[in-house]
Amino acid sequence: MSLRAKIIDNPFYVLELAPTCARADIERAQQVWLAKLELSLQSAMSYATPLGRRPRTPEAVRKAADELRDPVRRIAHEFWMLRGDRCDETPSEAAEVASPPPDALVALGLRAPR
Amino acid sequence: MAADAFYVGFDLGTTNSAAAVFDGERAHIVRNAVGSPLTPSVVRIDGRGRVTVGDKARKFAERDPENTVMEFKRLMGTAATYAFPAAGVQRTAEELATEVLRSLRADVAAQFGIEPKRAVISVPALFELAQSAATTKAALAAGFERVELIQEPIASALASGWSAEDGEGYWLVYDLGGGTFDVSLLESNSGFLRVVGHDGDNFLGGRDVDAAIVDWAISTSQDGAAAGLSRSNPEHTAAIEQLKRAAEETKIELSRAEEAALSPAIPLHGLGLELDLTLTRAELERLCAPLIDRSLDVCEALLHEHGVHGAALRKVVFVGGPTMMPVLRRRVLERLGAPAADGLDPMTLVARGAAIYAATSNLDARGEVADAREQTLWLQYPPVSSDTEPFVVGRAIGAATEALHAVTLVRSDGWRSTSAVLDAERSFAVQVQLEVGRSNVFRVEGVGRDSAPLPVHPSEIKIFQGLTIADPPLSRSVGVALANDRVRVYFERGTPLPARCTFAHTTTMTVAPGAEHSVLRIPIVQGEHDAAHLCRLVGTLEIPAHAVRATLPAGSAVEVTLELDRGGSLAARALIPALAQVFERVETLLVPGVDPSQLAPHFERLVERLTALRASAFREARRELILVLERADARVLEVERDLAAARGGDLDAAQRARRNLIELDAEIEGGEQARHWPELSAKAARDASRASAWIESYGTAQERRMLEEAVDRMGEALRRHDIRDLKRQADVVSRLGHAAWLRDPDAWPNMFEAAAARVHDARDLPRAQAIVEQGRRAMAAHDNEGVRTATRSLWALLPEQVRVLEHGMDSGVR
Repeated sequence: MSLRAKIIDNPFYVLELAPTCARADIERAQQVWLAKLELSLQSAMSYATPLGRRPRTPEAVRKAADELRDPVRRIAHEFWMLRGDRCDETPSEAAEVASPPPDALVALGLRAPR
Repeated sequence: MAADAFYVGFDLGTTNSAAAVFDGERAHIVRNAVGSPLTPSVVRIDGRGRVTVGDKARKFAERDPENTVMEFKRLMGTAATYAFPAAGVQRTAEELATEVLRSLRADVAAQFGIEPKRAVISVPALFELAQSAATTKAALAAGFERVELIQEPIASALASGWSAEDGEGYWLVYDLGGGTFDVSLLESNSGFLRVVGHDGDNFLGGRDVDAAIVDWAISTSQDGAAAGLSRSNPEHTAAIEQLKRAAEETKIELSRAEEAALSPAIPLHGLGLELDLTLTRAELERLCAPLIDRSLDVCEALLHEHGVHGAALRKVVFVGGPTMMPVLRRRVLERLGAPAADGLDPMTLVARGAAIYAATSNLDARGEVADAREQTLWLQYPPVSSDTEPFVVGRAIGAATEALHAVTLVRSDGWRSTSAVLDAERSFAVQVQLEVGRSNVFRVEGVGRDSAPLPVHPSEIKIFQGLTIADPPLSRSVGVALANDRVRVYFERGTPLPARCTFAHTTTMTVAPGAEHSVLRIPIVQGEHDAAHLCRLVGTLEIPAHAVRATLPAGSAVEVTLELDRGGSLAARALIPALAQVFERVETLLVPGVDPSQLAPHFERLVERLTALRASAFREARRELILVLERADARVLEVERDLAAARGGDLDAAQRARRNLIELDAEIEGGEQARHWPELSAKAARDASRASAWIESYGTAQERRMLEEAVDRMGEALRRHDIRDLKRQADVVSRLGHAAWLRDPDAWPNMFEAAAARVHDARDLPRAQAIVEQGRRAMAAHDNEGVRTATRSLWALLPEQVRVLEHGMDSGVR
């Protein structure tokens, strides 16, 4: 999953929950968003992220709740949520995406250091 | 009770079936015409075409075995038919399931006075899509208007959790039925049940214990009455069936006694011969041990996969008749180190859970109760909620609600929610409070701007507070087989259901209207392997030439959408934007038929590969690999046994052999790759290095980023020693590099020369030589597009390409 996807598809944004939310809030949020989508409410059709609005679908809501139910996966999303919240500190989305990632090839010994 | 709530669930079992009704607080087991909670899954059709189901039919199993069929569930979703010679008719397993469901439906109607129109039916978690589809069709044919499927372990967990006092933590549901084994790991937290993961074996069950007893009886009495008795001899089928039934009875008796007689009269060589054997519990334990261990290996792998160790496992829920065997319970509990859940009936738990699930799915057995014409509020709320403070979300509809300003919910004991004012979309969300463990009835009150009451419909809703379950996870990955024998995964294993996914593909063949027999196939497969031929074909979406509006040239775009509902039923759709046409019919959603004579040569080739691999493993002292091969060895024995039985006419054994051969192929391939791990990892490093160089020269910024990510994951796979993932990531890296390399002006001429050098291997030499000439002219004219077309045409005639097409299940897309 790309860095951008980790932020824009973050389950906390999909469900509009804070990283400190309780387990019950996850179930409640899933129930409410699925209900609103079933009722075809425009206000439920998209969600806000630091990198713009994204469409909200029943599949995305279910996947998001499933991710947050797993404690290990939830921690990772909490991390990326906090990172996403600081996106306004970074120059721009393009800069974030195009910034040189760590030299993984060198680290793995797959390419000679320059 | 029925006037208030009426939810129906069925357990359509291999050996027995059951029905349950849930009234909102308790699940009640339905008794059949003879007063039993269990209806044997047995169907008889007599000479006058009369159909008998259940206990009555079972009584004929000995007197009239030719016209009485049992254990047909294992052939659900196949085209195999059972003959009823007296009536001169044939029936598929699906049609027989229809008869059992019809009988259970009549039992519900007799006991409760309502003929159910909607219901939930349980299926094994590892049922293939074709088997699930056949179950749904059987129910519709039995008269139901709508059915949902639930995976058996989820149903068991729901039923056991519903009645549990203290259910927090991890539970393991060990479900050994007559023909299938399912194990599920669940986590219960604040009344909410989550399926953490599940696994199983679609061909392991109580029947295998019976078969082991039969084999023991034959080998023990070789000098006596059973001399010459063989499972591979079609003439002995009736004798074997008789022996199996006696074995089952002896097995059940050994749940209470230390030893039991096995002395059936069996029809052999035109005589009624009598066996006289005694089976002890200790001997039964020895016979069952490999089967129980096989199930426990699956359990331990599941626990390990999810990091659940030691005391973290709080309890084991036993489901299915065979789990009543003391030897099984002891062995399972000892090895897993957790206590058994008390006070649950393993025979009816699944049906109870299915009925409770019907309530959580709002599947009232009476059908649509509310009159849609009168409805002024479109409400969405959980019919069953573990949350004590769920939301009721609604929307006002129709002109009659224009004056409606706010909505309040009032519980039957007088508790009132806040007044929810309708927003710009005429919708509202109001939180309600539920009384724990009860059915909560709310009156819905509407008011206008002047606070004057306004009538709304529905005017009353009901929410049960109790255990609920998260969206069930998909048990096996589902995807589309591509022409290059790869799989485009649409849904990974574990994806919460329901789910829907669309991917764009490109056609690899031309489909012209009127071209007879020309069909573009999009095979849908299920399995965890990257190679399509190692996965199971579960359906094919077909685009026939006679149905296309205009010629669809090779290279056209096709958007494929796969959709799975909560019970795992599949719907598929292919959209061809160029023709503005949609194809939706999945043509062959059947488990393939099996011819034992075709399986035997394939089996022999696999055994040769396994022998060579084992020899290498010993020569190179690869202990890890030797251990992996032990599992394959055990499977070889099973396949041998099943092939013998299949030759004797056992259709079920033939299906099991087919599936086991696919697994064996995958295990051997895995072993071969494990043996070559050093070469594989070195090759992955070379691929990454080459791809990196190409992408640096010709790649885009996006390709660079994707490469970095793939290499990251490749490193992770190297650290975990995960062959499959390493191969997958290496494949991504290679494809990225290859895509960049194709931008090199010399790429296509180089590939053309390489293909042209092998022209003598082409299957149509004159045509291949003509293409080579054509390519050379294009090269001379610096026509890169022409060179590319010639190269692709040439590839299609070369042997590797032919082989890949065969493996790729004739897929017409990439």
